[in-house]
Amino acid sequence: MKINPELSRRRLILGALNSAALFALSGCQNIFDALSQNQTVQSILTSAESANRRVQRALAGRNKLAQEFSEKYISPTFRANGNPPPITMDYAEDAKNHWSKWRLEVNGLVRQPAHFSLAELESMPSRTQITRHDCVEGWSVIGKWKGVRLEEVINRVQPTASARYVVFHCMDTDGDGNLYYESIDLVDAVHPQTILAYELNDRPLPVDNGAPLRLRVENQLGYKHAKYIHALEFVASLDKLGKGKGGYWEDQGYEWYAGI
Amino acid sequence: MKAAPSSSLVYRHNRVTRSTHWINTLALMILFMSGLQIFNAHPYLYWGSTSDPERAFFSIGAAGDEGDPRGYVQLYGGQIDTTGYLGVQQGAFGPSARAFPSWLTIPGYYSLADARRWHFFFGWMFALNGLLYVFYNLAVGHLRKFFFTVSDAKRAPAMVAYYLHLRKQSPQQGEYNPLQKMAYTSVFVILTPLILLSGMAMSPQLDVAFHWLPALFGGRQSARAFHFILAFGFLSFVFGHVFMVLTQGVFNNMRSMTTGWYREKALPEAEPARAPVEPVAAIEQDAAPAVIGESTVLTKQEEETTEAPAPISSNETPSVALPAVEKGENKDEDQS
Repeated sequence: MKINPELSRRRLILGALNSAALFALSGCQNIFDALSQNQTVQSILTSAESANRRVQRALAGRNKLAQEFSEKYISPTFRANGNPPPITMDYAEDAKNHWSKWRLEVNGLVRQPAHFSLAELESMPSRTQITRHDCVEGWSVIGKWKGVRLEEVINRVQPTASARYVVFHCMDTDGDGNLYYESIDLVDAVHPQTILAYELNDRPLPVDNGAPLRLRVENQLGYKHAKYIHALEFVASLDKLGKGKGGYWEDQGYEWYAGI
Repeated sequence: MKAAPSSSLVYRHNRVTRSTHWINTLALMILFMSGLQIFNAHPYLYWGSTSDPERAFFSIGAAGDEGDPRGYVQLYGGQIDTTGYLGVQQGAFGPSARAFPSWLTIPGYYSLADARRWHFFFGWMFALNGLLYVFYNLAVGHLRKFFFTVSDAKRAPAMVAYYLHLRKQSPQQGEYNPLQKMAYTSVFVILTPLILLSGMAMSPQLDVAFHWLPALFGGRQSARAFHFILAFGFLSFVFGHVFMVLTQGVFNNMRSMTTGWYREKALPEAEPARAPVEPVAAIEQDAAPAVIGESTVLTKQEEETTEAPAPISSNETPSVALPAVEKGENKDEDQS
């Protein structure tokens, strides 16, 4: 008997659809879990990161400001997230003494390494801004920040031509004792709203929010805004730090470019 | 015995439409499932710019004691128990709080970082694929065929009546009926732009570039809420779409979206044969063996064009009659 070619093709397609549906229901999750942990797939997926960085930066330009809000939009509480405050004796003691022992060390690829006390930073020209903080988890809070523009510090230490990134070394650790660190490149570092903040909502920076000094980089997500900073290091490459991805969360798979 | 109604194969979907359709299918599935994983990181929605915890209008969570937590979904003042579905998931180590269960998310294990990677990669795919589809089909005039117009709006009630069997004659004119046009057009001009814009409004850098972007939705958290709601808008479109495909002839519809060929019931003689005026151009473009790196598709295409030349060139010639057995098996397939 002659088989109708269309009919057999129909069976084939229907059969394929049927197995595809079963496959989708039972195996979908395993497949995407396996793909998520595959190096090749990961490297393909992360190609979106550089696309995001290039396109978004081209659209935003270098000096356009993030939206600033009026006082009435300030959130009642500025949610603190991430690691608990540093638990060392030094930190607790210095917190009581208005950070008299604390110094911000600035070193790496700079012509004039320096260190600054909190009072010195506070005496430098400051910027105050009421901005929205967006966490990678999805929530947002608005706070009023006062701090010294990072560019001021940069001008004093004079990075060499090979410096490309500023690394923020922090005092807080995760449960396993890994120190927090972050990095931004010099493009974001000299943005007018990129500040080292020492005040939140007209009060000294609270311990939960990163006292004595934290970064504000308003065009990026919350995890870039390093808290409990004790040193800035100018580097040419991020390879030698941590696991080489440029930050504590970056080492765990989050994108270095956190503008999205 | 009634004679089998005559029907003909028409070339309905050009190659760009077909390939972008399936890329879109994959992209939407991944975007939806990775999006649920991203939502799981903070399963609350708010209106406005910020997320003051007590102001969430929607949340999925877990409550009760640790040994036997209850999952719930909360919308404004109302709360329903969703244990077993949402809020709590049974795992190898007992129950744990999880808004959307593993089997609905990409990846299945908890990883906001991995979900974001999937989401942003396929976000680009979705956007670029959509642009390719729109520009190509604007150029060849395909989009015009299902763009919802005022005259379609007038015929829409009649189409509803037809579907409800309150009316015998379909008011359809052209390849797509008024309700199909309404559904597709609303996806093109409402859902797609809004879901892209609300997604972009969550990006701090894009908010620097375009201050109006979060403002368009009433703040970043509102944009996040819209993004979530619109995703379910897409989901309901997909359900409707798949339902129509399943009920209006799976084989015929799947064939037309894989090979391009759709079997259409012959029209009454009074109406001159609706020759595939547009498709001719599309076919010529499509069948031109100039595409590089698509050898399998090309072979298939050649096979198609040689196999069924009659319906392309001549709708005037008697159309292909369906074998009886085929009709018996799939009598629904010509109804769409």
